[in-house]
Amino acid sequence: MHIAEGFLPPVHAVGWTIAAAPFVVHGARAVGKEVRERPESTLLLGAAGAFTFVLSAIKLPSVTGSSSHPTGTGAGAILFRPPVMALLGTVVLLFQALLLAHGGLTTLGANAFSFAVVGPWAGYAAYRLTRRCGGGLLGGVFAGMAVADLATYITTALQLALAFPDTESGLAGAAAKFLGVFAVTQIPLAIGEGLLGVLLFRVLTVNARPELERLGVLTPTPVLEPEKARVLEPEKARGTDDEEGQR
Amino acid sequence: MSGLAIDDAAWGSAWRTRSPADKLLLSVGLVVGALVLPVWPGTLLVGLAAVALALGPARVPARTFGRAVRLPLAFIAIGAVTAVVEVGGGGLGWAPDAAARAGALVGHGLAGSAAVLLLATTTPMSDLLPELRRLRVPAAVVEVASVVYRLLFVLLTSLTTIREAQTARMGHSTVRRSYRSSGVLAAAVLTRSWDRARRLQDGLAGRGMETGLRVLPEALPSSRPFVAATVAGLAALVAVTLAVA
Repeated sequence: MHIAEGFLPPVHAVGWTIAAAPFVVHGARAVGKEVRERPESTLLLGAAGAFTFVLSAIKLPSVTGSSSHPTGTGAGAILFRPPVMALLGTVVLLFQALLLAHGGLTTLGANAFSFAVVGPWAGYAAYRLTRRCGGGLLGGVFAGMAVADLATYITTALQLALAFPDTESGLAGAAAKFLGVFAVTQIPLAIGEGLLGVLLFRVLTVNARPELERLGVLTPTPVLEPEKARVLEPEKARGTDDEEGQR
Repeated sequence: MSGLAIDDAAWGSAWRTRSPADKLLLSVGLVVGALVLPVWPGTLLVGLAAVALALGPARVPARTFGRAVRLPLAFIAIGAVTAVVEVGGGGLGWAPDAAARAGALVGHGLAGSAAVLLLATTTPMSDLLPELRRLRVPAAVVEVASVVYRLLFVLLTSLTTIREAQTARMGHSTVRRSYRSSGVLAAAVLTRSWDRARRLQDGLAGRGMETGLRVLPEALPSSRPFVAATVAGLAALVAVTLAVA
């Protein structure tokens, strides 16, 4: 859920841009340093950005019958850390605004603050906390992705409430309104996204273990069958599906 | 996939060969106008100008433009209605000038979206990204964004193909299976993106990549008449709005 172009008053649009700027600039510096040291990371970071964009094209079936799109920033924050996601998320937002007519240019700052800053940081915090408390990788991933989605939605609702406070009940009333209206789609989506994350990482721990170890998501363990830890080929993806069909 | 529709329109637009800086000036001018001008008649004029320019001289297919404008409509409508409903002691009610406020929000939102779409449907991202360099965005960021643009279509194709294969094998027949398939789908797309990046990297390393991705940008010279017309048009828009309002 991104705020559409022209929806925020100019002062708010500028304010949120200023609020998001330090995080995005910090992310840009981190990316710049990484690319100077290892030029090959340009392609891996580009792949991460493209994946985050494409993830929002996966339709999740929702309990209410409609389908929703995951935000995907939780997965990105777990895999690539929140500072990098601040930049990649902003790039993805620019692409969504210009290729999908989703979001806008003057609202890019506000959307970046909720989608690329608050979401990834909150999700990453939930992920680390769950893992530290013994929740395991999959528990952490569920918490991380669901919290990233929820935090993004709550921030967006608060941004709208700040822009359009209720004349009678003020900010609190407006916040309750916007949280309530978007909760209908966003809360099932957050749970759905957490589930998707669990399924995603369950496949990744089998098919892309070396990558997860390199990214520091899993601690290296002696691998018994190195040939299993290869990139998932389309045949294997279909194979998994076949097994499901036969069951 | 609507993303491809907007991108296709951008590549096929009659304004494709115009300088991205010129189009950026026009669209950003209209976007700012849609945001700061009074809703009557400012945003109406901005919206009309954006639609007329896109469908007229830029020759963007009306179907594509119409569909793309509709996309943000759900958010704009829900947001505007929510903004003008009051929560008071006696439950829910309309704000004093509800219709006018909601109308203003919808006006700003639709005119702004149309102005952004004018840029999106006439300028492919690969023309726009080098322009960011002139706005002092670091080269590394622009390069990463260019890789995102070049990879995302490959990944979208993978996504569509795999989902088709899953659907054909009853992978989306129930909600439970659909979730399972979506997880496998996301994993397959992610590992494919890594695979793609690694293969591109190997290819580039073999060609001696040392200083980042250098591509030869297409020369799209700025047109003085276009810039002059843009400035004059925007000035006229502001003048008319201020005269009427």
